[in-house]
Amino acid sequence: MLATFFVAVVLVFQRFGHIAGWTLGEVAFLYGLVEAAFGTMDMIFSGFDPGYFGQQVRRGAFDQLLLRPLNITLQVLGSEFVIRRLGRISQGIVIFGLALTLLDIQWTVVKLIYLPLVWASLVCFFGGLFIIGATITFWTVESIEVVNIFTYGGSEMMAYPMHIYPNGLRRFFTYLIPAAFLNYYPALYFLDKPDPFNLPPIASFLAPAAGLGTLMAALLFWRYGIKHYQSTGT
Amino acid sequence: MRLFWEISKLSLQRHLTYRAATIAGLLTNIFFGLLRASVLVALYGMRPEVADISVQGAITYTGLTQAIIAYLSIFGWYEIMNSVYSGEVGADLLKPLSYFNFWLAQDMGRAAVSLVLRGLSIMVIYALLFEITLPTTAGQWSAFAVALVLGLLVSFAWRFLVNLAAFWTPNALGLGRFAFGLTWVMSGFFMPLRFFPDWFVTLCRLTPFPAMVNTIVEIYLGVLTGRAVLWALLGQVIWLVILTGLGQLVLRAGVRRLVIQGG
Repeated sequence: MLATFFVAVVLVFQRFGHIAGWTLGEVAFLYGLVEAAFGTMDMIFSGFDPGYFGQQVRRGAFDQLLLRPLNITLQVLGSEFVIRRLGRISQGIVIFGLALTLLDIQWTVVKLIYLPLVWASLVCFFGGLFIIGATITFWTVESIEVVNIFTYGGSEMMAYPMHIYPNGLRRFFTYLIPAAFLNYYPALYFLDKPDPFNLPPIASFLAPAAGLGTLMAALLFWRYGIKHYQSTGT
Repeated sequence: MRLFWEISKLSLQRHLTYRAATIAGLLTNIFFGLLRASVLVALYGMRPEVADISVQGAITYTGLTQAIIAYLSIFGWYEIMNSVYSGEVGADLLKPLSYFNFWLAQDMGRAAVSLVLRGLSIMVIYALLFEITLPTTAGQWSAFAVALVLGLLVSFAWRFLVNLAAFWTPNALGLGRFAFGLTWVMSGFFMPLRFFPDWFVTLCRLTPFPAMVNTIVEIYLGVLTGRAVLWALLGQVIWLVILTGLGQLVLRAGVRRLVIQGG
């Protein structure tokens, strides 16, 4: 379905030409990278998908896992593996490939090494968001729609350059939730574009720290959640 | 008819109880509305108007579409599929009300709650945040109201049809996702249809999708005037008749094939 949305974006760009100075190819770079990473995460971390996980908590299936003498985090991770997500990953890769044909990126060794690192960092980042969303269901039981703001909203937001958003929203997704360091700042580096907000150049290389940091914070929250978990009794 | 309203009322009361979910949904809709407004404003750049829609109109568009998303439920609606897979469909088919009306009654109760609690709140919040466009005449308001009701009916007839796929296959979810994804773009929800190239708009007009969202939006924004409004409303009626008729045909064929999975 993602491909349909991207086709729609391509068609709309025919009328508008660019979005705040970014061409179709540049947007495709962001979009493709984010989607391929989100798809990968969604396949590995499906056990933590807040919607799915909430259901497990409600039905008591999570209680069964707790009784087994195995690491609970690994069990949840292994409880669901959705091969269907390969579709989303490959669509992301196709869009990213389109970006590469439309753009004339000046590749260097550092860029070639850094690209897979950015992708892996994005996977960690989105995985962290899923874990946080899953942990919240310990208290709310229902999976809550607000979590979608960060998971699906975050990935949709990251498909466009950050400078189009109002300052409050942008700062929130830069400093509180480090989304901007995971694709916008790395993209500035890959595409050799100047930073309109004048952060130091290191901002483009914070992706691994932001990705791993989010995942670690999420796992700490998860552990706290498990300690305070009370079953629904079903 | 009494039964129809009773079922609607029950569904309405049931949906009124999900208050936390309503607030959560509201926040999500506002967030996505702001995202989409930012994208549109950035696309406009220095242009004051694109395809007869002003910047203010474009911002209003994002609010209006977020306001009717829950009401129209075009996000994805799998209730009939679920009832087929759980086996409840057996009892539902025996109800003293046609199967279509039984579900329509429930959907109208649900839609009424969504329209008031989510739709109205979103428009009010948008009005506080931005200068939004409002219909200017009583005629435009009434045309908008009619389009809103017809849009729901067309959307329901379409969702009913898609859900009937469950009568044939135990895994109709994929088909549903595809159908609703298509609706998302071709109804004018993703972007106003006028922003697309002419050939794509023509293609969309051959489908029922614009009758669900685009007609409501264009009448509200005042892009359509005079005769064009009446034609647009007539288009909604025609699609409603076609989709409802198709739904009846498919339902008849489906019931003959239906295998209830126990449960």
